Amino acid sequence: MLRAKNLSAGYKELHILFDINAKVEKGRITTIAGPNGSGKSTFLKSLFGLATIHSGKVVYKGRDITPTPPHDRTKMGIAYLPQVENVFTNLTVEENLKIAGYTLENGEYEDRRELALSVFPELEKRLKQKAGTLSGGERQFLAIATALIRKAELLMLDEPTAMLSPKFANNIFNKILDLKDKLGLTILLVEQNIKKALEISDDAYMLASGRVVFEGKAEELLEHEKFGEFCIGV
Amino acid sequence: MAVLEGAIVYSNLLVLLSIGLTITYITTGVPNFAQGSMAIFGSFVSLSLWLLFNIHPYYSLPVSFILGGGLGIAIYTLVLKPMIRKEAMVVTLMIATLAVDLILLGVLGAYSDTLAGITSKGTKKFIFTPMDFKLAGLDAILVVSSAVILLILFALFLLLYKTKFGIALRASMENPALAEIMGVNVEYTRLFSWFLSGSLAAVAGSLLPFRQEIVPATGAIIIVSIFAASIVGGLGSIYGALIGGYIIGMSESLITFYLSKPLGPSILLYSKVVSLIVLIIALIVSPKGIAGLDIWRKMTWRRSTSS
Repeated sequence: MLRAKNLSAGYKELHILFDINAKVEKGRITTIAGPNGSGKSTFLKSLFGLATIHSGKVVYKGRDITPTPPHDRTKMGIAYLPQVENVFTNLTVEENLKIAGYTLENGEYEDRRELALSVFPELEKRLKQKAGTLSGGERQFLAIATALIRKAELLMLDEPTAMLSPKFANNIFNKILDLKDKLGLTILLVEQNIKKALEISDDAYMLASGRVVFEGKAEELLEHEKFGEFCIGV
Repeated sequence: MAVLEGAIVYSNLLVLLSIGLTITYITTGVPNFAQGSMAIFGSFVSLSLWLLFNIHPYYSLPVSFILGGGLGIAIYTLVLKPMIRKEAMVVTLMIATLAVDLILLGVLGAYSDTLAGITSKGTKKFIFTPMDFKLAGLDAILVVSSAVILLILFALFLLLYKTKFGIALRASMENPALAEIMGVNVEYTRLFSWFLSGSLAAVAGSLLPFRQEIVPATGAIIIVSIFAASIVGGLGSIYGALIGGYIIGMSESLITFYLSKPLGPSILLYSKVVSLIVLIIALIVSPKGIAGLDIWRKMTWRRSTSS
């Protein structure tokens, strides 16, 4: 569904990723793991057009989208959820949902809104509240709900469980699994909670210093003899 | 009473100007030093329509609104946007707006000469006060400027809170990158903010000659009060600009007036000093302006914990 071909990227002159080849298969959960500073978040950003591409390309559904601006990638069904500031705190929950449906027709928006609230019924009673007053976990729910409204087919989540309590983190992982199983979404996950993420994932990549050091099935990575070394970046 | 009326009129106009300045500051991050001259552009639109077609300045407000909006868009697309694209620093952009201010000053000066040639009337200095009339015992300018403020605030409220575009506009103001991710074309919201800023400035400018004499350089003088009002308001909040506009407008008019009683009328020349002193006091009390005051924070208190 999505491929990075010989992708080198970073921010302006700063080079962070080197010659990355990776693919995300439709209807599967793919996790990008790696120690801090390995370039996981930059990888997601470069796939969404928010980082500087130095060479290589990004292909979505067979089409080269390397020059496509982010708002057009949204229309193509790609949703990117940044690690922080992924909801508008000054807007109410309802307005956040509405802005997510910005590119949709009215009737279509209503359908998507209903679907999103059926996946996250927790948000129903908070609709009139400003998103800034939500707890960290509820904010993640809202952020994912906005992606559902955007008719995302491919969900790119940047550390959705960061700064959450273990209980809420589990909750998020279960929801992510639901999104794949019940709605057939394709998910690309960047996680620091590596073990937990790999348990729900189908495929996995391990990054270290901006290069791919492992590529394969998630369970293979979990059982890999060098798994511990990968995680701390040696 | 006349002093209070004058102060309200002046504050109404200052609010229009400081809201405009604040909106473009929020969306593009540029403190616009040409805001004052953009207002004087509106004064000249109304003057021209009056001299050439005998249209009363109150009726020329819609024309001012649209032409002023056009000027705002022109300044943004021709000057600022190309510089922002090349990642110019805020200081550079700020100086660019100063340059725009000087260009506007020159153009308005040249235009006033041309207009004087066509109409054989003095246009270097003008005032609309003799054209004003009474409405229910009040100066019409008081009624009109207050009505304009109420109308614009109401329209702005409807736009920002009840329309999809308005929500997109607020979203882009808070977090343009995220708005872009949501599929909002943030560039449209920037264009719109410059249109709005230009049109509010021009409307204020059309009404300003009812209160004071206008020369092409008046913009350079009122910009002091506009910045004072916006900064007192916090420079990042439309409500702040609204309150800041009234604080600066009222204190500038009233304090200078009461000082002129014991100190003599020559003090009236220094009215801008009052706005700057109020600005300094306000910033000492609340460094982030009105919008940064604790009372608002309590109103938008966050549960910052994760559950």
